[in-house]
Amino acid sequence: MSNIIGIVNYGIAGNIHSIKKAIEAAGGKTLIINKPKQFNEVDRLVLPGVGSFIDAMQELENDGFIEPLKNNKKPILGICLGMQILATVGFEYGETKGLGLIKAEIRPMPVSANVPHVGFNTIDVVNDNELLYGLENEEFYFMHSYTVINFHDVSSTTTYHNHQFVSAIKNSNIYGVQFHPEKSRSAGIKLFQNFINLGEA
Amino acid sequence: MTVRIIAKLDIKPPYVVKPVHFEGLRKMGDPSELAKKYYEQGADEVVYIDIVSSLYQRNIIFDEIERTANELFIPFGVGGAVRSVDDFSKLFHIGADKVVINTYAVQENPDIINNAAKIFGNQAVVVNIEAKKWGDYWECYTDCGRIQSGKNVLEWAKEVEDRGAGEILLQSVDSDGRNRGFDLELCKQVVDLVNIPVVVSSGAGSLEDIKKVIEYAKPSGVAIASLLHYDKNTIKDIKDYLRKNNIEVSK
Repeated sequence: MSNIIGIVNYGIAGNIHSIKKAIEAAGGKTLIINKPKQFNEVDRLVLPGVGSFIDAMQELENDGFIEPLKNNKKPILGICLGMQILATVGFEYGETKGLGLIKAEIRPMPVSANVPHVGFNTIDVVNDNELLYGLENEEFYFMHSYTVINFHDVSSTTTYHNHQFVSAIKNSNIYGVQFHPEKSRSAGIKLFQNFINLGEA
Repeated sequence: MTVRIIAKLDIKPPYVVKPVHFEGLRKMGDPSELAKKYYEQGADEVVYIDIVSSLYQRNIIFDEIERTANELFIPFGVGGAVRSVDDFSKLFHIGADKVVINTYAVQENPDIINNAAKIFGNQAVVVNIEAKKWGDYWECYTDCGRIQSGKNVLEWAKEVEDRGAGEILLQSVDSDGRNRGFDLELCKQVVDLVNIPVVVSSGAGSLEDIKKVIEYAKPSGVAIASLLHYDKNTIKDIKDYLRKNNIEVSK
């Protein structure tokens, strides 16, 4: 397999550069995807996300990405807000429909002190997820104020101020991580290697 | 939750410099080389502040920033001479994860905080506060401690939180570069006042100073410059020491 990872580029807010660099450090080839028809040229997709839920959905719609993402059968990895918009609905700046690829809601973290949650924190792997192989109890970098509320597809949880939240999800070809693997030192590079090697013996 | 240990690079392009309480600069090295060194030592983040461009009213020098970003797989904050949402956008595109703003927000247009937070998310907007003590209050300064603003630090800290800043980088004009310890009272009052993460900076002269400010003020992170630049301690030394003193830090 050629293993080209497509990074979906939408809107003006992008941390695309960091993600591209980390995937390349993991040995992957990347293609920045500006138009949905480029989905044909890649083997896997990464959906980044910076900003708010409502803006991200609006930008995806403006660029014509919503239907192609809903119909996509390739492995897809949502990162941070990119994972959150995989959900059914989000409640950041009002109620907004998400891509609906994961049955979940996005709600503010029920924590009174110090939101956003910023910094390295450990993940506790609770269900099988190939992306997390070799990364049990590793530390990853988090930077978020909202979390995924989901009970079916949880791969790992993380605890912040006594609040346990979902830090990684998986449902068939759909993967999501609340943390930033591209900002998580060698552990993050390893996660991208796992993503590149998905389905290979 | 772990306390973040952040390496701070004060830049006078193309060098990392060390201001001695914000005046007098000493050249310390190349930004991308030092950033890489601190990353490899285990820094949780790197913050890059161009400390002269705002004062000289120059534009941001992007090449140096991009070269530095390319060495890092940890969060990278960038500031100095940021004057528009377009500057934020350009910096994110060349590899910044957070943008640090001070002078323009304090002296000209605080709405830039609201606008940037709405577009890029709160977590991406860091407000740098340079505090100078006057009797029983602190005043906000800009341009590396050179220009007074008339704004009260505590009022401004609350205001930037309300406007949507995701983090405060707190510096002390009085303590910076003197290596005699942090302005503990300043750190504590700002941390206690706001509900967003506060990174404290200015004054670390020893491992003990870092421990003291963490225990007393409970900041979300500590930004270190001189101790690292003079090779007095490595990030690893700092983390080992804190761990031994029962302060949680990342690996």
